[in-house]
Amino acid sequence: MMRAALAILKKDLRMEFRSKESILAMWIFSLLIFVIFNFTFEVSRLVMLEIAPGLLWVAFVFSGMFGLNQSFALEKENGNLRAMALMPVDGGQIYVGKFLSVTLIMLMFEALIFPIFIIFYDLQLSLEMLKLIPVILAGTIGFTSLGTILSAVAVHTRNQQILLSMLLWPLVSPIIIWSVTLTGMVVSGEVTPAFYPLLLRVGAFDVIFFTLSYMLFDFILED
Amino acid sequence: MSVPALQVDNVSKDFGRIIALRSVNLSVNPGEFVSILGRNGAGKTTLLNIISGVSRPSEGSVLLFGTDPSDHDNKAKLAVISHEMFLYGNLTAVENLEYYAKIYELADATQRIQEVLNDVELTHRRFDLVSTYSRGMTQRLTIARALLHQPALLLLDEPFTGLDQHAIGMLISLLKSQKELGRTIILTTHDLHTAQELSDRYVVIAKHRIVKDGVMAETSPDVLRSEFFSAIGGEDDS
Ligand SMILES: Nc1ncnc2c1ncn2[C@@H]1O[C@H](COP(=O)(O)OP(=O)(O)OP(=O)(O)O)[C@@H](O)[C@H]1O
Ligand SMILES: [Mg+2]
Repeated sequence: MMRAALAILKKDLRMEFRSKESILAMWIFSLLIFVIFNFTFEVSRLVMLEIAPGLLWVAFVFSGMFGLNQSFALEKENGNLRAMALMPVDGGQIYVGKFLSVTLIMLMFEALIFPIFIIFYDLQLSLEMLKLIPVILAGTIGFTSLGTILSAVAVHTRNQQILLSMLLWPLVSPIIIWSVTLTGMVVSGEVTPAFYPLLLRVGAFDVIFFTLSYMLFDFILED
Repeated sequence: MSVPALQVDNVSKDFGRIIALRSVNLSVNPGEFVSILGRNGAGKTTLLNIISGVSRPSEGSVLLFGTDPSDHDNKAKLAVISHEMFLYGNLTAVENLEYYAKIYELADATQRIQEVLNDVELTHRRFDLVSTYSRGMTQRLTIARALLHQPALLLLDEPFTGLDQHAIGMLISLLKSQKELGRTIILTTHDLHTAQELSDRYVVIAKHRIVKDGVMAETSPDVLRSEFFSAIGGEDDS
């Protein structure tokens, strides 16, 4: 049933692994963010721990924007987005395919940049850290589920990147703010009882964004 | 009477202040080969876009095989060749075709891919990235992609663009065999000679309207030429 979605995912991953364009660019970009913040601000370790979670998400989100733009530039290039509108396939399937590829590429980049983050901010590795996995997963999915549909909207317009930012930021910011809070709890070793309800809230937003986008994508493909 | 493959009813299209089409009516029977002729900006591409469903008419309606163009059944029967290639430069010819084969749920994908690559004489370059192809090779692959799922209705918008003499001959004979298979074909071209050679019928668009709808067999090349030029008139369409 999701055959077309998987076909789209497969071709996207194939192209990404061939060029490594997105992941590499995202990785270098994030590295720069870490370097700049690490060496420009002389702050105590305590303060650093305060701002590190925010920095991590800034890196994720800015790199994620780049990944989204790449992924849809690829579809726009030879009229492939129009080809998608001509395919005998539900818009929802196309959405799922693009969502999966954007999300997987972003998760791979995050897995590659995370060790750098640990080293730069001198964080202690512990089992507690595993709690970051659902946090990053939920925050990333929230970002990509919205980002995928908004990229498809923005790709038709002249000022694609500007429009994407203007649409995406206001909608995705609650998710990012909560993800920063959750990440802060784990990194500072202070996972309070508020952790799980907040994580659940991010998850709930993910489900809402994903479901709405899935249903609406048909309308977006027509221009 | 069978259901027409294509029924365009009173279609008009505006792009803001720009008028592209005015009250266009066109009915095409299954198996018919129709050439759409007209000057730059006459509205040929706009009409094909409305037929394929990628663009909505401002007024009027389109039916494919008696049903809405957006039905999956219709989309599965349709192929479009336009100035857009619908190909990924960072994939090889085979990878591009494999992708489309999956989208169109082809059972005999490997064999079909071999056949169409052979049809457009690209077999020797099938494992090269499309971004390394020349313009004409890319156009040939575009043709292969369009024929891959054995479409019942082909919409071809200047498909000869970028092809050399040999490849033009190749496409002409491909289109002839498509016609023999009973496919319905709608072609736009600026080459009256090719239109004459291939089509059963020709339609001239001028000033956003169909101004001539004629049977090709009854029209000699000279008559076609003079009819075409008198139909389009002296003024610019755009
Ligand atoms: N997306 C668009 N926005 C605004 N105007 C458009 C758009 N597409 C087409 N037009 C206008 O509609 C008219 C018809 O254009 P169309 O592309 O259909 O012509 P055509 O017959 O295909 O010409 P050509 O032989 O040059 O390909 C033109 O005046 C064109 O400027
Ligand atoms: Mg045109």
